[in-house]
Amino acid sequence: MNKEMKILVVDDFSTMRRIIKNLLRDLGFNNTTEADDGLTALPMLQKGDFDFLITDWNMPGMQGIDLLKAVRADEKLATLPVMMVTAEQKREQIVEAAQAGVNGYIVKPFTAQTLKEKIEKIFERVDG
Amino acid sequence: MDETLITEDNIARVRDLLATMEQGDEAGAKEVLDELARVRETQLYIEMGKLTRELHDAIKSFGMDDQIAHLAEQDIPDARARLKYVIEMTDKAAHRTLGAVEESLPLCEGMEDRSNELHQEWRRFIHREMDLKEFKELSKRLDHFLTENTGDAGKLRQYLNDVLMAQDYQDLTSQIIKRVIGLVEQVEGNLVNLIRLSGTNLGIHPGKTEESEIKATGPVVPGVDKGNLVSGQDEVDDLLSSLGF
Repeated sequence: MNKEMKILVVDDFSTMRRIIKNLLRDLGFNNTTEADDGLTALPMLQKGDFDFLITDWNMPGMQGIDLLKAVRADEKLATLPVMMVTAEQKREQIVEAAQAGVNGYIVKPFTAQTLKEKIEKIFERVDG
Repeated sequence: MDETLITEDNIARVRDLLATMEQGDEAGAKEVLDELARVRETQLYIEMGKLTRELHDAIKSFGMDDQIAHLAEQDIPDARARLKYVIEMTDKAAHRTLGAVEESLPLCEGMEDRSNELHQEWRRFIHREMDLKEFKELSKRLDHFLTENTGDAGKLRQYLNDVLMAQDYQDLTSQIIKRVIGLVEQVEGNLVNLIRLSGTNLGIHPGKTEESEIKATGPVVPGVDKGNLVSGQDEVDDLLSSLGF
């Protein structure tokens, strides 16, 4: 797993973005950028050369699930690894995210250990 | 309707009706029938009048209730402002804590790195792998390390105090939220009264109030949210692995 990879963290709460950024830094990922919803994230993804997307689900503007679908529908971004970190925990929602092509799903509140494990698992598959 | 149909007057009227009919008195029979109908209509009007008055009084008393006007004009906007303040306070507390943590982490990392480095040199000294010149160098660095550590530990204590103080939001926001819960209870009471007065059935139709399964609803609140929920990361993982993840 490349520790220099460029990660976009999308959440409408700046505190959650700060927490995720700090946890990522602790895991050795320093190349992180933030966006506060899908509408701001999508053009950033299309312009920038991001290697990994971490997104919340429930956000104003464009929701995380719609961002995921937009990413999968975009020729250039279709294979970008996407992880959802969200408080949404209905079974139907998790199935929906899986069907939309999510690579990992973490429910809030979560631990640093969970974040680490899920990221490792995603990149084991991507790199392998 | 408390209209009594069987009264002496009405029995007499029916007898009249029968008598006029048997006599073949068409006009007389019609007149008696009309009279009977009028009796019934009068009763109906009286009942309708009563109902109208009751409804009127109810609406009037409801409209004139100062408490409701106050709720709508003052208390609800007030509650909104208070809840906004709760968001501000929790946001500020979270950022203050995060700020202190972000300042503390590099201090810890620095202490860890310097300790590690010195520890290795110290081991060389214990194992007599160090000459005097190197040892003098080590002593200087040890002195520098201790000075630096004392300073950093002091800073760390300050940041930890900051984290401690940032938790005061919990007490304050709880008080505000409790007040808003009181207001919600008042509004609920008034709404129930209104519904009772308007005579609407309070039966809730479950099909209509259920939210769409896919719609994002935010954090699950224990004891409030129902439905097909997972109870934590383990269940999410199980579900995903059952889907081939």
